[in-house]
Amino acid sequence: MKRNNLLELGVGIFMLAGILGLVFLGLRVSGLGVGVPNDTFTLTANFANIGGLRPQSKVTMSGVRVGKVTNIQLDPKWFDAKVTMELDSEYEGKLSNDTTAAILTSGLLGEQYIGLTVGGAPEMLHDGDVIHDTQQALVLEELIQQFVSNMAN
Amino acid sequence: MDDPIMVEVKDLHFSRGNTDIFRGVDLQIPLGKITAIMGPSGTGKTTLLKLIGGQLVPDRGQVLIDGQDVHQLSRRSLFKLRRRMGMLFQSGALFSDLDVFENVAFPLRVHTELPNAMVRDIVLMKLQAVGLRGARHLMPSELSGGMARRVALARAVALDPDLVLYDEPFVGQDPISMGVLVQLIKKVNQALGLTAVMVSHDIKETLSIADYVYIIADGKVMAHGTPQTLDVNDDAHVKQFVHGEPDGPVPFHYPAPDFFDDILAPAGQFS
Amino acid sequence: MMRHIHALGRATLDIVSSIGRAGLFLIQSIVCLPSREGFHLWVRQMHFVGVMSGAIVLVSGLFIGMVLALQGFTILVGFGADEALGQMVALSLVRELAPVVAALLFAGRAGSALTAEIGLMKATEQLTSMEMIGVDPLRRIVAPRLWAGFVSLPILTVMFAVVGIWGGYLVGVDWLGVYEGSYWSNMQDSVDFVDDVLNGMIKSLVFGLVVTWIAVFQGYDLIPTSEGISRATTRTVVYASLAVLGLDFVLTALMFGDLG
Repeated sequence: MKRNNLLELGVGIFMLAGILGLVFLGLRVSGLGVGVPNDTFTLTANFANIGGLRPQSKVTMSGVRVGKVTNIQLDPKWFDAKVTMELDSEYEGKLSNDTTAAILTSGLLGEQYIGLTVGGAPEMLHDGDVIHDTQQALVLEELIQQFVSNMAN
Repeated sequence: MDDPIMVEVKDLHFSRGNTDIFRGVDLQIPLGKITAIMGPSGTGKTTLLKLIGGQLVPDRGQVLIDGQDVHQLSRRSLFKLRRRMGMLFQSGALFSDLDVFENVAFPLRVHTELPNAMVRDIVLMKLQAVGLRGARHLMPSELSGGMARRVALARAVALDPDLVLYDEPFVGQDPISMGVLVQLIKKVNQALGLTAVMVSHDIKETLSIADYVYIIADGKVMAHGTPQTLDVNDDAHVKQFVHGEPDGPVPFHYPAPDFFDDILAPAGQFS
Repeated sequence: MMRHIHALGRATLDIVSSIGRAGLFLIQSIVCLPSREGFHLWVRQMHFVGVMSGAIVLVSGLFIGMVLALQGFTILVGFGADEALGQMVALSLVRELAPVVAALLFAGRAGSALTAEIGLMKATEQLTSMEMIGVDPLRRIVAPRLWAGFVSLPILTVMFAVVGIWGGYLVGVDWLGVYEGSYWSNMQDSVDFVDDVLNGMIKSLVFGLVVTWIAVFQGYDLIPTSEGISRATTRTVVYASLAVLGLDFVLTALMFGDLG
């Protein structure tokens, strides 16, 4: 009987390890937030070119993560990319409405993300507002092309 | 044979691959008696038991147990019928992950709803009958061959079956445990009034406890009768088998060309 | 000529009938009502199949994660992208290495043991005697083992991935000095729970079923002699490994093929 209990205990621990492992993979590895939807507010920004940005890409300020991209769509009016991002609600009403959003690359070939830089205007951004001042992604081919044509001149 | 018939085998044909194992076997196994089926090795005696137990299906013919045709039964009815059968396997076939007690309790646990206390009583009773009550906590790997077979016997009769099939119960036993087994089988059979079918080629032991004997060779029943009548049977085959003579109708030599011709074959003609 | 055609025909029939038998075998044993008794048998097999394979899976996972980090770092640092180490380690583990390597180890450790165990039961007539007692060995012996394999491999895979990511962290962050924050945040940015983690789990569920199925079927169907058992054990490891690698390609193509 005692051997049986020990065996059941072992199997129990095994199952538990599996479940905890899956939770770890969910939270720590794939960054599934336990965050409630209330904890964020939404901003949109239009970019001429988003490069390799995709949903789930991070949004940072001064290199600190403040939110993530939730949706990317082609804006049929201007034919540019409309990027929707969710930011932590603690920043709501604290970013000036002339904040700029730039698509940056980590490292030479790394992941692309959005970097926000605060401006000096007195009005603040709130849920659903639009960031007007944007800087498109650097596309390597275009850079090279520019470089080459500059050389030619 | 005036006793009522428990098992009847009619015109049984069975083949494996291209070899015919049985070519029309007829047997009648009387109720409450020990019937032995004997024959040289390789005549398919174990196969016969498997046919009776419904594990193999014959090419032709019938096996009737208590009037039911074993091979016409649905899987469910067959399993129900098997609860009335016990089988003792050549190797004992104890479940290696259960101890002796649980092995004997196994049929009780799966087929009855008896409370634990009652299962315990029955198991201890059966183990006492085979003299291994003290070994109930041992695992099968800790038992000697003879002990394993005794436990298997206790398990085979745990549900008080009507029919017990013994597959070579004496094979590979030392004289002492052979004697013990012979006595046990006889005793258990008398005590429970079982019908027993025993497959064996240990002549002396089998003849000492069997009530009726069939001898099978070449896929057919060669002779049958009580041990006394077989002992004085004049048929050359029967005589050779019952008295264990090395040469006779079953030849000692594998078929070969004449010995002298073979030895004296000119060089270069070796085959 | 006729002889070769005969041989071809016979080989085809043999293969078809053995696939048929294996399929029938799977269906007969996997379809069963849950019961208290069955649960206890299953727990016992979970121990034998799952818990006992835990150690080898954990150790291998740790080493694979460490090697990945070491190899990945030397390549990534050449592009100045060593920040992406976490992403590389996690993606290769979760999508590919954890399901496949855990399944291969499982085939070697648990699969061969299952084949040998069931084969030995067959050789010592335990299966036949169970049938004679009126208990279906498919239910009693095979089903709990199948279910245990089916459940344990995904768990082992998760454990493999977690330990591997930790091993990558040890080497990448503690030893090679990748910034800890970027190890985790890059990982979180690129690993998607549904696309990567759950797809990896689906793979390992399929592998668990296939490996255990091959193992128990080989055990159940073998020729009951010592030679038969040793051959069937070898066959289990070979067939199961090939099946895992082949299926991995098919599943990967189905899951990630359209991503480009």
